Amino acid sequence: MVNFVLRDLRGSGRSLWMLFACLLLGVTLIAASGGLLQQVRSGLLTDTRALFGGDIEISQRSPLNDQELVWLRANGRVSLLIELRTMLMTADGQSQVVELQSFDDNYPLYGEVTLDPPLPLDQVLAKRDGLWGAVIDPVLAERLNLSVGELVTVGGLTLALRALVIRQPDRSLSADWRGPPVLLADQALSDTGLLQPGSLLDYEYRVRIDQNLDRWRANLTTAFPDADWEVRTFKERSRRLGEVLDQVGSALLLIGFSALFIGGLGVSNSVHTYLQSKLATLATLRALGMREVRVARLYLGQVLLLAGLASIAGAVLGGGLALAGVALAAERLPLAPTLLALIGPLLIAMLFGLLTALTFALPALGRAMAVTPAALFRGIDANPVRTPTRYRWLTLASGLLTAGLMVLALPQPLFGIGFLGVTLTLLILLEGVVQLLRLGALHLTQRQMLVEHFYWRLALANLYRPGAPLRPTLLSLGSALTLLVASTLVVAALLRTINDTIPEQAPSLIFYDVLQSQVDNFRKQVLATSSLDRLDLAPLVLGRLNQVNGDSLRDSTDLERVLEARDEHKLSYRLDNFDNVQVKRGSWWHDDYQGPPLVAMEDREADQLGLKVGDRLTFTILGETIEADLVAIYGQKRFQSRFWLEGIFSDGVLEPFISRYVGAIYTDPAAAVKLQDTLAVEFPNVVTVRTESVLREARTLLTRASSGLALVAAISLLASLLVLSSVVAGSRARQVYDATVLHSLGARLNTIHRALGLEQVLLALLTSLFALVLGGLIAWGLLEYRLELEIDGVWWTALIVAPLVSGLCLGLGTHHLLRRLNPSPAVLLQS
Amino acid sequence: MIVLNNLTMHYTLNNNRIEVLRAIELTVPGGQSVAVVGPSGSGKTTLLLLLAGLERPSSGTVALDGIALESLDRDQLADLRRDRVGIIFQSFHLIPSLDALDNVALPLEIAADKNARQQAARLLERVGLGDRQHHYPSQLSGGEQQRVAIARALIHRPQLLLADEPTGNLDEHTGADIQDLLFELNQESDTTLILVTHDVELAGRCDRILRLHDGVLNEETDSLRQTLAHG
Repeated sequence: MVNFVLRDLRGSGRSLWMLFACLLLGVTLIAASGGLLQQVRSGLLTDTRALFGGDIEISQRSPLNDQELVWLRANGRVSLLIELRTMLMTADGQSQVVELQSFDDNYPLYGEVTLDPPLPLDQVLAKRDGLWGAVIDPVLAERLNLSVGELVTVGGLTLALRALVIRQPDRSLSADWRGPPVLLADQALSDTGLLQPGSLLDYEYRVRIDQNLDRWRANLTTAFPDADWEVRTFKERSRRLGEVLDQVGSALLLIGFSALFIGGLGVSNSVHTYLQSKLATLATLRALGMREVRVARLYLGQVLLLAGLASIAGAVLGGGLALAGVALAAERLPLAPTLLALIGPLLIAMLFGLLTALTFALPALGRAMAVTPAALFRGIDANPVRTPTRYRWLTLASGLLTAGLMVLALPQPLFGIGFLGVTLTLLILLEGVVQLLRLGALHLTQRQMLVEHFYWRLALANLYRPGAPLRPTLLSLGSALTLLVASTLVVAALLRTINDTIPEQAPSLIFYDVLQSQVDNFRKQVLATSSLDRLDLAPLVLGRLNQVNGDSLRDSTDLERVLEARDEHKLSYRLDNFDNVQVKRGSWWHDDYQGPPLVAMEDREADQLGLKVGDRLTFTILGETIEADLVAIYGQKRFQSRFWLEGIFSDGVLEPFISRYVGAIYTDPAAAVKLQDTLAVEFPNVVTVRTESVLREARTLLTRASSGLALVAAISLLASLLVLSSVVAGSRARQVYDATVLHSLGARLNTIHRALGLEQVLLALLTSLFALVLGGLIAWGLLEYRLELEIDGVWWTALIVAPLVSGLCLGLGTHHLLRRLNPSPAVLLQS
Repeated sequence: MIVLNNLTMHYTLNNNRIEVLRAIELTVPGGQSVAVVGPSGSGKTTLLLLLAGLERPSSGTVALDGIALESLDRDQLADLRRDRVGIIFQSFHLIPSLDALDNVALPLEIAADKNARQQAARLLERVGLGDRQHHYPSQLSGGEQQRVAIARALIHRPQLLLADEPTGNLDEHTGADIQDLLFELNQESDTTLILVTHDVELAGRCDRILRLHDGVLNEETDSLRQTLAHG
C-alpha cells in the first residue's frame, strides 16, 4: 500500500502542495524563534557572572568607607568600577555623551577584556609619555570616526586612544543608547577634574566570593544594617535577563504559532479539496473491499507524509534563520552559534507541524469518509453537512494535545495560556460575528427591495450558505488584517508624535549636571547665543522617600516598598512645567503658593507604592527630613518629557539642597551644534545632548520597531494569503458548478459574474470592518494605556490600509476565478 | 410548438468528422409529450442540448414558439431558458449549498419574481416534500433530490420541459414514483415534454416515441407501443 500512497500522491495535483506551503511557513517561524531563543539563552545565561561582572555588586553614589571596604575585602575579591556620564570631545571639536568607566587592577573578576590591538588592559590605560591611555567602544569609534592613536578630551584631561574594545564581558546591553563606554584608569578619572562634589558618579563594587551567595548577603546586611547602598546579585540579574529573554522568545514563538494556526485553515481547505477530487477513488477502494478505517489511514498517511516533508523543510529553514540571527547578534553579544542547541527546538517545531496537519485534516477526512460509495456511483450529492462524531472527537483530542504542548513549549506558559484564551475568545467572537452576518444576509435576501436584483441576493446568499467562505476568510485574512491595522495605527501614531509634535515643542539641547557654582556663568554663556529662544534651568535634587503617612517603607511587608525606599528619586520644581508633565490625579498648587511643602509624584512611582492624593510623604534629602502633602500625581508625556522627574515640590522646599541644575535650551539647530561644542569646552562636566540626535536615535529605534511590526504583519498576511488561495481553490469547483447550473436555468453570464464580484466585495468590506474594529481596539489599548499617545488623527491610515489590502487580496482571487469561469451547461447533460 | 428544420450536428475529432444528427425534421405541437429513445451515442443528449439552446447546430434551425434559437445571443438564450424552458437532469444537479426551497425557487429568483419562495414552498408540498423544504441536497435521498429537480424545472411553468433520463439514477420503485409525478405535473401544467430515455416503459407513457439511430430520427410510436403491449 505504501506504493499506492506514493503513486496516488504523485498524481494528486496542486491541491496538497498548498498544505505544504501553509505548514512550511508556520514551522519555519517556530523553528527560527525557538532556535534563536535557545542559542541566545545558552549564550547569555551560561556565564552570567561574567555578564554581571561579579557574584554580587554594591553600588552607591559615593565611595564606601574604610570599615565597609575592609569587610568586603575580608570576605571576597573586590573590584571597583566608577562610572560617570560625561562629554567626550575629539580633536576636531566634535562632542558626544559617553560613559566613563575606570577600573582597578582586579577588573574583570570574571571573563576577559579583549582589545584591538591585543594588549593587556592595564598596559593600555597606563600613563605614557605624559598621556593617560583610553580604550573606546567600536560604536563610538564609528560614530565619531575615531581611530587608535588619536587624542580625545574628557573634562580637563587629554587622553590617547590606544585600543578598541573587541569584547568586554560586562558591557551593558543598553550601552549603545545610554552612551558608549570609554575605559580609563582610576587615576586618569581623578585627573579629568570631573570628580567634584555633586557629580553623579556611580561607585560599583563587584565582589567575587567562594561561599553561598544568600548567606554572604545576609552577613553583609547584618554587618551594615543601616547602609543605603543598592545590592544586586548575578542571580537576580540572570533571573531578570532570563525573564526578558523568555518574554521575547514567547512572543516570537507565538507569532509562529499564529502563522501555523492560520496555516492550519489552509491545511483544512486543501485536504478537503484534495479529498473531494479523490471521492471516486475512495468509493472504488471501498467497493473493492477495503475497510473504511484502512482507507482513512491511507489518506491520512498521505497528508502526514506531506506534512512531515513540510515540517522537515521548515525546521531546516528555521534552523538556518536562527543561526544567521545568532551570527548577526554575535557582533554585540557574547554568543556563539551551536548546532547542538538547535536540535530540541527544531524537533518541537516539526512535531507541531505534524500535529497541526493532523488536527486540521481530520474533519475533512471524516466528511469524505462519510460519503457512501453508492451515492457516489449514482452521482448523487451526498457530502455530509457535519463531520461524523468519531472524527470530531479525534480532532478535539488532537487539538487539545497541540494546545497543551504549545503551552509547555513556551518559555512563559502564561503567554501560551493567554494566547489560547485570546484565540478562543476571538473564535467565539468571530463565530458570533459570522452568525450575525449570516442572519443579516438571510434577512436581507428576503427583503422585497432586492427582488429585482438577483445578483445581490445571490451574493448575499453566498455569505450564509453551508460551505460559504465567510468564516475561513474572516479567520485568515481578518486576523492578518487586524494585525496590520493595529500595526499601522501604532506606527502612524508614533511617527506623527515624533515628526509633528516634538519638533514644534522640543528644545535643541538638554543638559544635566550644571553645578551650583557654574549656574551664573552657564546662564551668561547661553544667553550670549544670538538666536536663543528660551533657556529653562531647574534644580535637580536627589532624595529618598522614607515614609508614607508615617509608615516606614523599609519596614513594610511589601517588597516593592522596601526596594523603593532604597531608590534615589529625581526631584525638582515645577517652573512653568518645564518638563511637560501632565497631571492625572489631583491638581497643581497655585503659582503664587507660599504655604507648607506640597509635592506631586510621577504616576509610575506613585502606583508602585500605592500612593494616593492626600497622603503625607516623608523624604530624606542629604540627611534632612522633608515632609510634604501629596497633592497631584502626574504622567510623563513619553517623547515630550526629558528629565523623568519622580517628584516635583512646591517652590522653596528644595532650596537648601540644590547643588546642580538641569535644563533645556531652545535655539536653531546650527546654533545648537556650536553651543554644544562651546559648552563642552567651557563646562566639561556638563552633559549636553542634542535633541536632534535623540530624535535620530528614536527614529532609528522606531524604524526597527516598525520593520518588526511590518514583518509580523507581512508574515501573517502571507499565511492568510496562502489560506485564501486554498479557499479560492476549494471554492472554485463549487462556484463553477453553481454558475453552470444557474446558467442552465437561465441566469445570464454577466449576472453570475456580478454576483461573484459582489460576493467578494462584500467579503472584503466585512473583513475590513472586522479588522478595523478589532485592530483599532488593540491599537487604541496599546496607545492609550501603554504608550500614552493619542490615536486621534491617524484613523485614516487604517481606513485606507484595511480595504486596500483586503480588496487587493480578494480582488486577485476573484480575477483568477473569473478568468477560469466559463460555465458550459452542456456538461451537466453530458455527465 | 417546437419546429426542427434540417437540423444537423457534427463534430470533428482527430480530423475525423463525426455526424451526430443528420438533417432532422420534427414538429412537436404545444402540450405534447415526446420520448426520444435510442442506444448510447446515438445523439439523444445532443438533441436536448440544441433544444435548450446550450449548443448551436452545425446547420438547420430550432424554433420554439416561432423564436429561432440561432438568432439569439448567449444572454438571450439564457433569458429563453429562464422564461420558457425547464430541464431535468439525470444527475439532478441541485446546488449543494442551497436547501430544497431555495433550489426550487431559483428560476423564479432569476426572473426576479417577488413570490418565488411562496410558490416554491407550494410546489414542494405538491411533490410531497413539504416537510423537507430546508434540507440540503446531501440530506435528501436520490428520489427526493429528483423530486426537487422536477419542481425546480416546473416552478416557472415553462412551455418546454426537457428531461434527460430522469429516472436513470434511481431504483425501480423510486423511478416509478418519479415517472408518475413527472407525468401528473406535466399534464397539470400543459407543458411540452421532450424526454430522453433508455427506458421503453417510460417512453411508452408519452404521446409520441421517436427513435434516434445513427443521427437519424424516426417516429416509432406505434411499433414500440405494440412491443410494449406484447410484453
